Amino acid sequence: MKTRTGIAAALSVVALCAVVGVTVYAAAAGANGDARTVAAMEGPVTPFTPQATFAGLSPATGDPELESLVQVHPSPGAIVAAAGPFDDRFVLEDLAFDGGSVSGAVRVTSDVSDVLDLEVLAGFYDAKGVLVGNARFVHHLVEDATHAEPPEERLEFTIAVPADVSGRAVAASIGVPVLVNE
Amino acid sequence: MKRQTSVLTSTSLVTALVASVILTGLGGAALTASADDGNDRTRATNVIYLLGDGMGRTHVTAARERYYGAAGKLAMETLPAQGFVSTYAVEKLSGQPGAADFKPNPVTDSASAATAWSSGVKTYNAALGVDAKGAVVPTMMELAKKAGYRTGNVSTAEITDATPAGQMSHALARGCQGPVYSDAACQDLSITGAALPTSDVRVTPIADQIARNGTADVILGGGLSRFDAADETALKGQGYSVLGSIAGQSTATKADLASASGAKVFGLFNKGNLTVEKTKQDNPSSVQAQEPTLSEMASKAIDLLQKGKSNGNKDDRSGKGGKGFYLQIEGALIDKRSHANDAAQTLGEMKAFDDAVAVVKDFAKRDGNTLVIVTADHECAGFNIIEKGTFTNAEAGTPPANVDSGNTANNSTPTRPSNSKDAARSTGIVNGAGAADPKNFGPATFRTPTDAAGVVDGSPDAGLWLTYLSGNHTGADVPVFATGPGSEQLQGTVDNTALFGIVGRALRVV
Repeated sequence: MKTRTGIAAALSVVALCAVVGVTVYAAAAGANGDARTVAAMEGPVTPFTPQATFAGLSPATGDPELESLVQVHPSPGAIVAAAGPFDDRFVLEDLAFDGGSVSGAVRVTSDVSDVLDLEVLAGFYDAKGVLVGNARFVHHLVEDATHAEPPEERLEFTIAVPADVSGRAVAASIGVPVLVNE
Repeated sequence: MKRQTSVLTSTSLVTALVASVILTGLGGAALTASADDGNDRTRATNVIYLLGDGMGRTHVTAARERYYGAAGKLAMETLPAQGFVSTYAVEKLSGQPGAADFKPNPVTDSASAATAWSSGVKTYNAALGVDAKGAVVPTMMELAKKAGYRTGNVSTAEITDATPAGQMSHALARGCQGPVYSDAACQDLSITGAALPTSDVRVTPIADQIARNGTADVILGGGLSRFDAADETALKGQGYSVLGSIAGQSTATKADLASASGAKVFGLFNKGNLTVEKTKQDNPSSVQAQEPTLSEMASKAIDLLQKGKSNGNKDDRSGKGGKGFYLQIEGALIDKRSHANDAAQTLGEMKAFDDAVAVVKDFAKRDGNTLVIVTADHECAGFNIIEKGTFTNAEAGTPPANVDSGNTANNSTPTRPSNSKDAARSTGIVNGAGAADPKNFGPATFRTPTDAAGVVDGSPDAGLWLTYLSGNHTGADVPVFATGPGSEQLQGTVDNTALFGIVGRALRVV
């Protein structure tokens, strides 16, 4: 192991000598999940590391939520829309709630070549219109070399009532906290 | 642990050698010829990079024939250096060209292409400011900013969309736009193996990054919905003049833009993408008609960057009171309307983009030391011009078929026994008589300046017949037009990663 490490180190020195003055390509690689930075530059400028932290920005701690879920109080049997940041980009269609799940479709009305990401958040309410739980539908387009499907403007969803509020949920709300379409 | 670190470091350095050779190769021999004397002819005071998203060679030709006639020229076509750019992407976890693990993908998306010219590396579709293995790579706009240039980023898309974001953010997935983080939109376990902590820049929503990293001094475009009140606070804390209200989700207007001043300006004119020009022209009293055109945003961005360029910079080599600026301008809706196969709006967006090119060209002529590059990230939808009165295979009663199973690649017997339209699939011109049939595969027709008086769009008598192959990107090389210091490097064909070196050398940041 010692010898192999030594050879690797020697190769490294050769590598460094070869690149000085031409290109600085510094890779600080770690295990999966570690931050890595590669500075790909040429010429006399000093290596540059892009800003990786942002003062005052609190990292996300969970799934995206909508404040509006607690602000609506639907009557038993009702399904209402919960306000979100992208409400001008879609319409909700064919909404239905049977006590066990809420279903429907989001039809994107702005530019659509692909819907890259969509999260539909469902709030569930008791007979007094109090939010008792929520669940979500998540769509993420996996990018690949081919797009076998035509542009998708309408995505259907079914969101089951969480088990811990089953039987108590008598109404629902629907909101969209995540929508990325192009 | 110590030994592991040593091996890792050694591996990294060997990788560094390979990568360095690759990067050097990407830009050709000129990459080794960086000069810091500031006096050679490839040195520019300013660089303006214009990007017609989805603009293939046929988009240019069709717009020329539509608006200026076959013998005319778009503004971009009058630039002296002209060539083509190859645009391929790579698969996830691919090495760079020349590496043993290099795995090309012939058709790029806007994110991979933006990373190619912004950072000089090939990456996978959806990646921004990271290479194909997920490592963060600096962008040209970051380098320019660090070197003391003023910087601007203008787009008709959401400013968090791939092309503008490619200069101002680092993200594993282009869908991580904000305003909130989500695992599905932001993480990519096929790259990282395990979920990254949400504090990692690569999974930080792009809007949050743009509002806090100060990479661009002037930011104009769409996408107000991606930003929230905390972003507005962060922007104002850095000295940005914010047009409209982010906290109130009130979009800025062209009047706001006209009166904007200051060294740092942030203006978003639509909650999503800006409105297509044809729609604004057809509805002049609408709210959307109050959005500025790309030309107006380009002109104002240049003005703001010019006025602010003596912004305390002591490393001034321009002789004009500042170091100069680097500005990216995107006509994004060419692509979006090409995806939709809407030829009228596609052409309208081409005209709007070319009008912005004309503004930039005029500035560059006055300035005398500005490198202007006009190109695209990829072609979209296989846009084509067919002969007047003819039809495509999609309309044919008997589309070409392979009848020689022994020679599947090159048929040696006739494959088109008849050559006639299928009446069910070709009911007329899609922007004319056939518009009512959603199954129609017919072309869209447009009058040209030399058509006889009375000939209208959608008429079989119109001179310009346009078709689309698909609703998606293609792998065709895209055109590039350029003028100014170093533009001669764009004569011929280059790869999109070479644009990084050409711009970087002009600005002396690589």
